[in-house]
Amino acid sequence: MDTASFQFVFFGLAAALVSNFSRSRIWRSIVLMVASLAFLGLLEHNPLVFLPLIGFLLLGYASLILLERGWSRAVAWSIIAVLFVYIWLKKYTFLPAGIFLHGPYLTLGLSYIFFRVLHLLIDTGDGDKQRHIGIGSYLLYLLNFTTLISGPIQRYDEFARDQFAAEPLALGPRVIGLQLERIVRGFFKVNVLGMIFDMIRVDALAQMSYQLSPSFKTYAAFKLIVAYPLFLYANFSGYIDIVIAVARLMRVRLPENFDRPFSASSFLDFWSRWHITLSTWFKSYVYNPLLMVLMRRNSSVAMEPFLGVFCFFVTFFLVGIWHGRTSEFLVYGLLQGGGVSINKLWQVMLTRRLGRKGYKALAGNPVYVAFGRGLTFSWFALSLFWLWASWSQIDVVFAALDAFRWFGVWAGLWLLATVFLALWEWLRARLLSIETAEGPALTSRYARVVYASALGLAAFVMTVLLSQPAPGIVYKAF
Amino acid sequence: MTSNAQSGSGFARTSGPPEQAELVLPRRDWLLLPGISLLTICLLAGSTEFIARRVFSVSNTGMPGCVLFNNSSAGLRAVPNSVCWVKDPEGPPVEYRFNSRGHRAGKELLPKQPGIFRIVMVGSSTAMGDQVAQEKTFAALLPNELSQRTGRSIELYNEAMVAEYPQNIASRFDEVLAAKPDMILWIITPFDIRVVSAVPLSADVKKRIAQGLVANVWSRMKGAAAARSMSGAMAALSDHSRAAFLTRHFLFQSQSQYVKSYLMGPEGEFLKTKTDAEWQSYLSRFTVAVAAVEDQAKAAGVPLVAVLVPYRAQVAMVSMGQWPPGCDPYQLDNKVRSIIESDGGIYVDVLPAFRTIPNPEQGFFSMDTHPDAEGHRMIALSLAKELTSRAVPQLVAVSRAKSEIGFGR
Repeated sequence: MDTASFQFVFFGLAAALVSNFSRSRIWRSIVLMVASLAFLGLLEHNPLVFLPLIGFLLLGYASLILLERGWSRAVAWSIIAVLFVYIWLKKYTFLPAGIFLHGPYLTLGLSYIFFRVLHLLIDTGDGDKQRHIGIGSYLLYLLNFTTLISGPIQRYDEFARDQFAAEPLALGPRVIGLQLERIVRGFFKVNVLGMIFDMIRVDALAQMSYQLSPSFKTYAAFKLIVAYPLFLYANFSGYIDIVIAVARLMRVRLPENFDRPFSASSFLDFWSRWHITLSTWFKSYVYNPLLMVLMRRNSSVAMEPFLGVFCFFVTFFLVGIWHGRTSEFLVYGLLQGGGVSINKLWQVMLTRRLGRKGYKALAGNPVYVAFGRGLTFSWFALSLFWLWASWSQIDVVFAALDAFRWFGVWAGLWLLATVFLALWEWLRARLLSIETAEGPALTSRYARVVYASALGLAAFVMTVLLSQPAPGIVYKAF
Repeated sequence: MTSNAQSGSGFARTSGPPEQAELVLPRRDWLLLPGISLLTICLLAGSTEFIARRVFSVSNTGMPGCVLFNNSSAGLRAVPNSVCWVKDPEGPPVEYRFNSRGHRAGKELLPKQPGIFRIVMVGSSTAMGDQVAQEKTFAALLPNELSQRTGRSIELYNEAMVAEYPQNIASRFDEVLAAKPDMILWIITPFDIRVVSAVPLSADVKKRIAQGLVANVWSRMKGAAAARSMSGAMAALSDHSRAAFLTRHFLFQSQSQYVKSYLMGPEGEFLKTKTDAEWQSYLSRFTVAVAAVEDQAKAAGVPLVAVLVPYRAQVAMVSMGQWPPGCDPYQLDNKVRSIIESDGGIYVDVLPAFRTIPNPEQGFFSMDTHPDAEGHRMIALSLAKELTSRAVPQLVAVSRAKSEIGFGR
């Protein structure tokens, strides 16, 4: 149930069906709560494993009540307490092992609950939102099964706007058709594409330790570095497609989490298209406050862009280290923070050198964009080694080839990604330019039915033939 | 928000696309859209099946033209001096030419010349060289390898036959001894242990073979429907669909995927550290058959060397060097070794040799699991290496360097 399986899809569709028996917000909320509790019950049968999660939820709610009652001085302490309990429950390895709980307990979805709890505390503490959130609404928001496992990280106001609306979102045949098509697409991504890319990665990883010729190993290294970003995208965005569609069928709009990330022409652009709700959260609660503090302390206009560079580094370093509890994620954070801040620095320097117009002209140059796209993909692909691999695996992988060959693999990937992604963008634009009276032919309901049927058949056949679960949703572990 | 947080700044621009306007579907679409969906599915399934049947074609005439089934103790016998061409889905068209004694030996059995060390090989389809040209089978490659390593003139006469399982070998052992062997090489596969003895086809299976494809699938679907078994219906479809075959064939090119799938299926039971009762009974029956074979070899004073030729999943696992908890690719080898050696036979273990071969499973057909020509080459090399490494006193290698030649790709 914690992956994009048939069971999960049927569970979501059943919940959506029952939810639509009445348009009443009370009915829809009861159905969502029952479905969410049932979902948790299907994940774990032993009630004791939920106790730490219940404690975490109660801590968050108690802090929220204090802040709602005007205890604004409690903001910092409540954030620290929530942060500490989160780190403690997640067993971050920099804490002494002796202080951890040793019995089994559920941490699935804790990260996403944590982000939403902090969002509530900070916004309430800032006094921006004058509102009272009842315990039912609070639990409904945090335990919503469509966002529990891997997000997307929805803001409370967006959730409440749709969930508690007196007049719920319209749901006609066209919307239902679009959502069903999206579920099929998501299912295909996770269960077919994700599985195939993961298969390639696992095989290539094994080949890195075989006694093979350097050219064969170079090929294996290339497959290894390419397969994981594609797998991760298929795995995560496919799951998100399914939950967004299920939520929409329950008349709730979830925020989008992906916007064709591999079309990004820079690393900065990439992070505005990849795990969008995470980067938006960090923008609101790390980047903006940090930049404001630094700007208040340093009034030099000339320094302003460099403060931005620094804030980008800090923000995306934190984005990186959030992904895991071990030291590999420090490197992942450094590579994300480094990539984004160097990209920003490059923009600043070029703008100074070429002027705003000159930089704008350069940034619009198709060749520059294509190379930027290739560089972005290759950098992200390289950085992902520290997301999925342990130090011992990283040792094996990097010891398999000398530095020169590794540089060749990375540079080759940059070039190939540049060419391939440029061709893909060109093809996509050409296909979308085929218009009918109702818009692009490729996005018409007839075309959607054709490819949803084809993808659905392929996913069904693959799932039935292999009769084994696709790789789990990677982001549920974070 | 500062200028740093604008478009392309590392942060998202919007929270999502604008909601699509609610539209009522035109009435014709209520029929048209399901029709398009159905047509797409039919076209895709039909065209994939058509392509798969072209790519993985099978010959209309097959081995039945060359083999006879007389009784369950003798098993299958080839028609002397017969020739068949068979094309199985994954393999090339292969000629099966049987000599005057009904053996696919690549030659006639002639009186033994002085100074020649004669090995007679017995076993089932793998030893016979199923789906591989005779000159590329390990039976054909092994004598030359052994001769090079030992400096002796070694010949191998292959008496293996498809579906010749342990009890069948025991029941026609006089035929093996009639070839005047200096050594008997018994090639065993996990399937041989499971089956032990050839059985005549049941009336139901004969009827199914006689039926056409569509009638066959239909009767199985009806059976599944009567039993209200969805999985049965799916199995009926997928067993006969060449598109399903094609899908599995390509997925099973992946080492990791193949191992995962194999271990999940019933065929992977022998790789579990705690084998089920069914496998325990297979091993008990196998022990009895081994005793019958070994007693006759011992009485004739001919050394008997048994080899378990591993399955595709086993070689993939040992090559990867890791396997899931509760599984062990070496387990069956160890059990067979103890069964063979307890009755005084010699056991040669070729499985460890696959540890150093990258992706050895590529030398086996991914669906059929028999070794292909490359697999036969690997088996010949590892067999030659193990047979000459003091396991058999008559076959000790004269030069160690020779035995290290390569599996490299």
